[in-house]
Order: sequence, then C-alpha cells, then structure tokens
Amino acid sequence: MDDYKFLFKVVLVGNAGVGKTCLVRRFTQGLFPPGQGATIGVDFMIKTVEVGNEKVKLQIWDTAGQERFRSITQSYYRSAHALILVYDISCQPTFDCLPDWLREIEEYASSKVLRVLVGNKIDREDREIPTHVGEEFAERHNMYFLETSAKESDNVERLFMQIAEDLMKQARTRDLPRYDSNAQSINGRTSTIGDSSCCSKLQ
Amino acid sequence: MSSSNPSTNYAELQRKYLQELKHLEEEEERLVDNLNNLFNQKTFLEDKVKGVSKLIPTLKVIKHEAQDLVNTINDISDSSEKISGKIRSLDVAKNRVDECQLRVNDLIDLDICSQGVQAAILDSDYEKGAAHVHRFLSMDQSVLTKTATDMDNVSNIMKSVRTLQDASSQLRAIVEHKFNEAVNNEDLTSIERFFKIFPLLGMHEEGIKEFCTYLRTKIASVAEKNLKTAMGIPQSDKRYGVIYADTLVLLFEGLARVIDTHQPLIETYYGPGRLLSAIKVLQKECDVQMKRVYADWAKVRQINKKIQVVNEILRMGSSSSFGKIEKIDPKDLDILIGEITLMHYRTELYIKFVQRKVMADADVGIPNQEDKEKIIKSLENVIKDSDISQCKHELLSHYLRLEQYYMDESIAKAVAMDTLEPSQQTSSMVDDTFFIVRKCIRRSISTGSLDGICAIINNACRALESDYCEVLKGRLRQGYPSGYLDLTQAYNVLQTSIQHGRLQSGDTEQSRTAFITALNNSDSSIEYVDALCDHVMKEIEQALPKMNSRDRGKLESCLSGLSSVTANLKDIIDYGMQQLRNAAVKPRVHPWVDAFLNVSHHFTEEELSAYEAGEPFVQTLIMNLETLLSSFKDILTPSNFDAFTQVLTSEVTQRLEKIVMKSTFNRLGGLVLDKEVRSLAGYITATTSWSVRDKFARLTQIATVLNLEQLNEIYDYWGNHDGALTWRLTPTELKSVMQLRTDFKSDEIKRLKL
Repeated sequence: MDDYKFLFKVVLVGNAGVGKTCLVRRFTQGLFPPGQGATIGVDFMIKTVEVGNEKVKLQIWDTAGQERFRSITQSYYRSAHALILVYDISCQPTFDCLPDWLREIEEYASSKVLRVLVGNKIDREDREIPTHVGEEFAERHNMYFLETSAKESDNVERLFMQIAEDLMKQARTRDLPRYDSNAQSINGRTSTIGDSSCCSKLQ
Repeated sequence: MSSSNPSTNYAELQRKYLQELKHLEEEEERLVDNLNNLFNQKTFLEDKVKGVSKLIPTLKVIKHEAQDLVNTINDISDSSEKISGKIRSLDVAKNRVDECQLRVNDLIDLDICSQGVQAAILDSDYEKGAAHVHRFLSMDQSVLTKTATDMDNVSNIMKSVRTLQDASSQLRAIVEHKFNEAVNNEDLTSIERFFKIFPLLGMHEEGIKEFCTYLRTKIASVAEKNLKTAMGIPQSDKRYGVIYADTLVLLFEGLARVIDTHQPLIETYYGPGRLLSAIKVLQKECDVQMKRVYADWAKVRQINKKIQVVNEILRMGSSSSFGKIEKIDPKDLDILIGEITLMHYRTELYIKFVQRKVMADADVGIPNQEDKEKIIKSLENVIKDSDISQCKHELLSHYLRLEQYYMDESIAKAVAMDTLEPSQQTSSMVDDTFFIVRKCIRRSISTGSLDGICAIINNACRALESDYCEVLKGRLRQGYPSGYLDLTQAYNVLQTSIQHGRLQSGDTEQSRTAFITALNNSDSSIEYVDALCDHVMKEIEQALPKMNSRDRGKLESCLSGLSSVTANLKDIIDYGMQQLRNAAVKPRVHPWVDAFLNVSHHFTEEELSAYEAGEPFVQTLIMNLETLLSSFKDILTPSNFDAFTQVLTSEVTQRLEKIVMKSTFNRLGGLVLDKEVRSLAGYITATTSWSVRDKFARLTQIATVLNLEQLNEIYDYWGNHDGALTWRLTPTELKSVMQLRTDFKSDEIKRLKL
C-alpha cells in the first residue's frame, strides 16, 4: 500500500525538556505546540520524504527524556538507523549529560548507527553553550552537528533530510555487495561504509 | 446529341414529357386536396372566431375585478402594517410589565427573605435560611440595586440586601463550622445535611472540597488498616507473593466504590459536571496511599537491591562469568515479576476507570465543547502529575529490567542445558527458548501497557538475534567433520580438518550430530518465530482492543523486528549449507564425477550398444548420490533436506560441466552424454519437490551441442525462430563445446555465425 523504497528508523534521545518532541512535531506536522507536556514512554511518528526522486519513509521515535522511562527507551536503540542526540543550548546541564548519553548509545546501539548531535532552541537569547563548543564535542565523537530551533523552524527540515540522504547513501553502498555476495559472510551486513565520512559537518 | 439517332431521341423526349405530365397531374390533385381541406376548416375557424369575440366583454369584467382585488389587498397590508407596529409596542410593554413584576416579586421576596433568614438562623433551621439565601442569590444583584435607585425608599431595600448579604456570610460560616463539627463527631446525618446546604449558599466548590476531604479521612483509615494487615501476613500464606498487589486492589476498589456511591449525590445536589473537582481531592489521598504501598513493597521485596544486581549483570553480559556478583536465579524472580505486572495492571485499570467516569460526567453536564476540552485537559494533567502515575512508571521500569534479566538468563540456561533426544531432529534449546520468549511477551501483555509490550518485544528480538543466533552460528562455525568413502580420503579429510583447527579431538560422530542439529534448530526456529508473531498479535488485540492507528503502527514496527531474526536465521542456514558443501559434498562428489574421464566417449556402434546396456558411469553416480542423500534424508528437516539436495545438485552439475569440458567426443559419445545427462536429471527430479531444470540448464545445452549430427544443425536451436532455445551458453562457450567433438572441423566452427 505504501510505495516507499527505503524505511529508516530515527530515534531521538536527550535530557527531558530539550525539545525532542517539538523537533519531531515541527518536522512531521509543521507545528510548534507550546506548553508541551513531558513525553511518556515513546511516541511514534511517520513521515515520507523524497530524496532524489526516491520515496523514503522515516519512522521517527520520540523518546521520553525522564530517567524512569529509560528501560523503555533503551530497547529502541538497537534497531535505530540514526540516533539524534539533542541538548538545549540555553541549558548547560543538558550539555553536561551528553557523555552519559554517549555511553548509553555505545552500550545499546549498533556500531554502524548514524549519530547526530543537535543543539536546539537557538531562538533563545540566553545561550549558554557557544556553537563551537558543541561543534568540537561532535567532532571529538564522530558525530554530525547541527543547531536548530523547533520554534522558528530553523534547520529542522535540513536535519531530517540530511539524515535521510545519508542513510540512503549508506544503504546503497551496503546493499550492492550484498546482492552478489557468495553467502560466505554470514553477518549479512558487510560494514563497507567508511567511518571517515561521519566527521563531516552539515553546516 | 440529336444528330446521332433522332428516332430514339423522340421516344426519349416523349417518355420524359409523359412523366412530366404525370407529375403535374399529381401536383394538381394534391393542390385540390389541400384546397378542400382549407375549405373545410374555414367554417370551423369562423366558429372559433365567433366564440372568442363573445368572450371579450367577460374579460373586461374580470380585469376590473382584479384591479379591485389589488386595491383591497393593498389596503389590508397597510392596515396590518399599522396593527403589527402596535402589537410590537404591546410586546415591549408586556416585557416591561413582566420585568417589573419580577422586580416586584424580587422585592417582595427580598423582604420576606430578609425577615425570614434571621429567624431561620436563630431557629437553627439552616435549610430554610439557606433557601432564603438561595432565593436572594438567584436575584440579579445589579438589577436589584438599580431598582433601589429607581425608588424612593432606597434605604429600605438596601437594608434588606445588606441583611441578606450578612446572613449569607453568616450562614456560610455556620455551615462550614457545623460541617466540620459533624465530621469531627462522625455524625453522618449531619454531614449529609450540611453537604446538601453548601450548594444553596453558592458554595459548590467548597462543599465538594469539604465533603471529599472528609471522604479522604475515611479512605485513609481503611487503607492504613489494609496495609497493616498486609504487612502482618506470614510468608507461608499463599497470597504472600502478591499481597501488595492485593492491597492495591483493595485501595482502588475502595476508591472506586466511594466514587460510585457519591457521584449520584453530587449530581443531585450540585448538578452534573462537577465530578472532576471531587476526583481532584480524592486523587490526593489515592496518591498518598499508593506511595505508601509502593514504598513498603519496595522495602519488603528489596527491589532496589535486586534491580542493582540485575543492572550490573546485564551490563556485563549474561555470558561473562564474573564471580563478584552473585547471580539471581531467574526462577526466583518469577513471583516478583508476576506481582509487579499485577500491580501495574491494576493501577492502569483504576486510572482508566477515573478517566471514564469524569468523561461521562462531563458529557452529561457540560454542553459547551470548549469547557469540555478544558475539563479533559485538566483531567489529563491531574493524572499525569499524580504520584500514582509516577509509581506506575516506576513499576513498569522495574518490570522491564527484571523481565529482561529473566529472559536473557533463562535463554542462557536453556542453551546451557541443551539436550538432544535420540530420534529428534532438533534439540531442547529451541523449544525452551521460544517457550521463554513467549512467556515473557505474554507477561508483558498482562501489564496492560503498550510501551511495556513493545519494549519486551524489542528485547526479545535482541536476545534472539544476538545471543541465540550467535550460539547457533557458533556451532556451525565448528564445521562439519567429513565422512569418508575410503581410507585415503578419510585420512586426507582428517588432515585438512586438523590443519584448519576444526576438529580438535575424538568424536567425529558427535560433532557431526551437533552440526546437523544446529542446522535443524535454525530451520525450526524460523517456524517458531512466525508462529510467535501471529500469536502475539492476536493476544495483544484481545488485551488492548481499543488501539488507535498510531499505537498499532508502533506495535507493528516492533513486531517487524522479529522478521530480521528470521532473516538472520536464513543467513545462518545458508552458511551451514556452504559448510556442508565444502565438507560433505565436494570431497565425495568430485571423485564420483571425475570417473567420467575414465570412460572414452569415442564409441563404435558395437561399443555403444554394450555401453548403453549398463550405463556404468551414470548409474554408479546415481547410486552414490542415492547413498549420500539417504544418509541425510532422515536427519535433516524437510526444508533443510531440500536445501541440501540443491547444494548437491549444483555441485554435481558444475563439476560434471568442468569434466565434460576436459573430455573429447565423437558423434556417438555425444549421444551417450545426452542420455546420461537426461538420466541424471530424471533421478534428481524424482527425489526433490523443486524444479531442477534451472540447475541442469547449462549441462543439458552442452549435451545438446555435443549430440548434433552436423555442425550447421545448430541453427535449428540458435537464432530468432520458434524452435530456438534460450541459451545459457555464450557463443564463445558454445564454440569451445563444439571443439570437443573430434569430428567437427575447427575452422568450420570458427566460421559459424552466432
């Protein structure tokens, strides 16, 4: 019934209140719901986008940031194709927690997962984390980096589209050798995607 | 024209004229008819004209009368316009009279009320007093003051108003005081009496608050008693394992009973749409009690310590044998996990009950859609921020951790205790593992939380895909120890196996069985995964019948994770089949096929008939294949056996193709080869369920080429005509096959246009 060529799972993680739900809502529905309550468990949204004439279905999992939902949200890391780690540029503690989140990603996610660091709420005047600090952190940990504003709709579309394009590129390079592979690689997935590409920034 | 033949010309002319004449006659006749007709009509028309002219005076009369009618109607409309104006002003007047009457009534009542209220208060007849105040409150206060200014005796009215205002605040104070007194005295009738008076004094919110605060104390004392009983229960009691779930059930049932019995009371005296105010107060007590039960439960069941241990072990991976932490036997967690699911489910059920109640009340009592949405939003917030929701989330979180541990450890145990019953194709770990996975998913369904179910499904996928599949893969990686046909071969195989480190020691038969079992286990696991998917979906649909499309999408996405387990298992089987091909098929098939080289394919007629009688090469090959296949038929699952036959077939055909390319043929030799290929294909077709044509395509075509009578017969099979074959051989390959025929001339082959 759906005529999409690729399906990718994108999971958003990060501290409570950094704007994960708002990013997802902005992208999938074009809304910025003010006074959004805390997410309970995980929320699930779908958006089909077009990348170079191909339909790509993005399954976006919006997780709760609060600690007590961790055992639910962790179970979604493994099957994720891309992980978006979000912090709030006007809130130092959300940035300080990033190493903890990375540890969790290391532990539960696939090693090939596309990792993106997002500093949200750039519409705010009271910035606490300068752009270059976020950038450096991302570079150090082989992640894409982007600053966004779900409220002003800055870079939101770009964030998800870039992820869709990248995952498609990955899927293509990964699938080609897989079709005529002589069944010897029992992992099925040969890790041919160069990790070197992960460093490049979106900006 | 006339010169050529005048006589015929005249005849022609004559005929023409006659014709013309006939025409004219006919024309005349028609005209006469027409004239007659018109003539006949004339009298009729004259009659009509006469009739019409007679009507003319009548019409004139009608016109006059119509004119009169118009005038009359205009007159009427004018006068009715005048009348309706009068009626309108009458209406206004009437309204004023009504209003006036109301004011007069209000004034009279005001007077009565102001006189009555004091007396009522003095008589302690609070109902009567409250009724007076109620009457006073129902008057439009602004109109009242306006009336007062309109009249001469302003002071009189204002005095009454003031009296009543004073009286109502006095009454409010009294009623509140009396209510509290009644609560303190546990005087149920007085409590109810004053509860009914509150709304008369316009104190709806206060009344509900006071009353529900009273109910809170009732709930609290019952709950405390229940908790004490729970704590006192001996470990030997059969409800001991679920006693906290039981306590929660008592709490929630008590609350539900309170809500059910008092809702009609509130609705009668306070009006519908006010249940949420009551729930807000009661929820506070519910929160307090839930937290108590939860805290006590966590202490008695040592939940934090267990979670800590479980987290440590999960982090290290179940396989690592760290001695530091003492592992918990998953079986010991069974009852605790059961209790948590029960507690979670009951909490969920209670929350749903409250939601349903408030919604139904709002549907009846609040017609305004906007207000209703406000109520719903407010209800959502009350529940979201409540401690019982917090506790519920904590419970689910604990459940998920423990269940994950239970599943991982139990699967590890099932693998460790794996046994193979003789005459069974699969070993116990398959049954056991899927029993565990199914049990865990079922238990997650009994929590009533979709997020919980999804998380457990995700965990199950991980456990199956990594831990379980890894075990199967690991066993296949050990390799399949080759069997032997003769001693030299056995020796060679053994040598290579030892060199590759596949075979450490001793029991070949045992490792062979282990390999085959792992292969069969993988195949039967695929069936188990499919069945699991089906059953789980059905059970969830039964347990959560009101899933919306987004919930359904969430669930389906998680379930689709199981299909990647299937893909993984298929890869494992493929890998195993390749192992078998290298270890069991290749070393045997090659010498059997290579025997082809021992037979010269240059036959004379006599040799041919002698050879054809026995077909020694192909019959021996078939016999050998038969032996090999039958040794695997009973030990492999049907679909594995099919896969094995495919592997064997492609090995045989590929090898034979190679060997054929090393031989040479004469015409009769080609004929024999063609027959041999047919016999072989016939045999394999008979043993399997799938079509072998594809695997034999190249070989059959090679045989066809070698079986040609003459070179240019190839054009019967090549080209763009109906008889042509779909060739699997390239023109170059085809020509090199032709070179094998010693009687075909090389330069003629080269000249062929393909």
